[in-house]
Amino acid sequence: MTAPPVEKTPVPAPEPPVRPSRRLRKEAERDFVPAGLRGTLGGRIVRGVLLTVAALATIFPFYAMVVLSLKPSAAVEFPGSLLPWPLTGEAYDSVLGSQDVPRWLLNTLVYSVVSVVGVLLLASLAGYAFAKKRFPGREAMFWSFLSMVMVPYHVTMIPTFAMIAKLGGVDTYWGLIVPTLANAQAVFLMRQFIQGLPDELFEAARLDGCSEWQVFRRIVLPLLKPILATLGVFVFLWHWNDFLWPLVIGQSTDMRTLTVGIASLQQQNVPLNVVLSGSVIAFVPIFAAYLVGQRYFTEGVTASGIKG
Amino acid sequence: MTVVADHTRRTERRGPQARREARIGLLFVLPCFLLFLAFRFGPGVAGVLMSFTDYTLTGGGKFIGVDNFTRLWADPLFWKSLKVTVLYTVLAVPGTLIASVALALLTRRAFRGSKVFRSVFFLPVVTSLVLAATVFVWIFSTGGPWATFVSWFGMSDESWLTSDTLVVPALAVVGIWSRFGYGMLILLARMQDIPRELEEAALTDGAGPWQRFRHIVLPQLRPALFFLAVIETTASFQVFDAVYTMTGGGPANASYTLVFQLYDAGFKYFDLGYASAIGVALFVLTLVVAVVQRLVIGKDQ
Repeated sequence: MTAPPVEKTPVPAPEPPVRPSRRLRKEAERDFVPAGLRGTLGGRIVRGVLLTVAALATIFPFYAMVVLSLKPSAAVEFPGSLLPWPLTGEAYDSVLGSQDVPRWLLNTLVYSVVSVVGVLLLASLAGYAFAKKRFPGREAMFWSFLSMVMVPYHVTMIPTFAMIAKLGGVDTYWGLIVPTLANAQAVFLMRQFIQGLPDELFEAARLDGCSEWQVFRRIVLPLLKPILATLGVFVFLWHWNDFLWPLVIGQSTDMRTLTVGIASLQQQNVPLNVVLSGSVIAFVPIFAAYLVGQRYFTEGVTASGIKG
Repeated sequence: MTVVADHTRRTERRGPQARREARIGLLFVLPCFLLFLAFRFGPGVAGVLMSFTDYTLTGGGKFIGVDNFTRLWADPLFWKSLKVTVLYTVLAVPGTLIASVALALLTRRAFRGSKVFRSVFFLPVVTSLVLAATVFVWIFSTGGPWATFVSWFGMSDESWLTSDTLVVPALAVVGIWSRFGYGMLILLARMQDIPRELEEAALTDGAGPWQRFRHIVLPQLRPALFFLAVIETTASFQVFDAVYTMTGGGPANASYTLVFQLYDAGFKYFDLGYASAIGVALFVLTLVVAVVQRLVIGKDQ
């Protein structure tokens, strides 16, 4: 991702804004809130209790998921089963030892990773063109992107499925991935972000003899890093969690993704601890992405209103 | 949304340089646009057209006028799924909005741990509902955690998922759990923009917390609430993942939703024309509700 700096470029990339230290930010916040709005001691205690109860209720399904997945299959009776002992990894042994779950994990990884790369590349190219280039048909293309915002995905999905089926794409990776690559939301976001970048940077690089592709590769892409990170995390999660499209396109057991596979385990008479160990395996990457990319999530959601 | 602004029009340019720019622009936009045309715009139009045909996967494709829609109108299952979907929406959307507002209010001032709370509340949003549903099946089981919880309030400790009156409320609980964090985050961002002077002034005038919320915070949140109401309603109309995983539409179709019917028609019976008609109905419903919400919540803007 880190491109070597273009030689002789007179205009340096803008410095990232310096984040004030944690202590400074806290102080600024405190000074800003008048005493009456900070709440009385009693008010703060009530707030703490309410929040703790809400947080425990929110966390509870995750806790139950993990603990039950580590129980022997007979011991999932409530409430005793919520105690974190005795624990065993037998459900994980059976899930990871089966043929299916590792294969589903692989499918999900392929689907998510290829889609992230594809969506980000296509959307940044298109966003750059929409934001900075004039070409015939630009308005019409942009409006056709916009026009699909209110149309439910399900209307689109049926003819897409019919087309992919005709082309022999059912139960293939390309049938799963290719139809999801043109992501209108990603294009909007890219266009909006790139419009804010100064034209002078691109002009300067052009004067120095960069081809258009080099301008894109060496100037635009590095400047897009923050938005690429935000969008990348979201696209990864959309595809990792996607259900309906993988469900209709992956009809054989071998072509299921984790969400589809786990839903199928849920419907067969698979013991609960085994189903849940599958859920935990599918959840770990989400949780890891969330911990690493938390700043991107909160900033991405609040800045753009992307759906989680 | 704004119309494409002409940021690139520095001077009226013609000639080879403008042609070159146009060529590059097209080259950059076309990979994405062609895929979009093939897999979203084209199918979007085709989906509407298909609803007027008897298309199946193996054949058909004859134009049959509005037959699919008259069939839909006469289909008791359609009215059932519409009723279930509306009931789900009526329970889940207000529930999500209320929880979002409450938790945004509680976490809006920075205090020790406020960020941790916000992160916890957002975690369900990034979690697949299919995964969450596997554990919610256990949570809602007979004598399970939820049943025990409601039995403290005098209800029976039977499973809500096997009750034809309680299965949709149970799904709504799951929906609220999975969505309120998103609303909270949107509202928090909006709350940061409320001028502090307004609240300080109200404070010096002796306004209590409820009055400050009612007369200062709530009016400022109105556009964000409108946005959330539309987003959440659209999402609720399309509820599927949790239904498919938790109940399979049961018991006795008590949780049979619109998208579930669309899925059944299209991918179980391969009756793609009829499934498209259900999709169009969903589309029209979404538009109507968005317009109504615009009139009710979004007025005065």
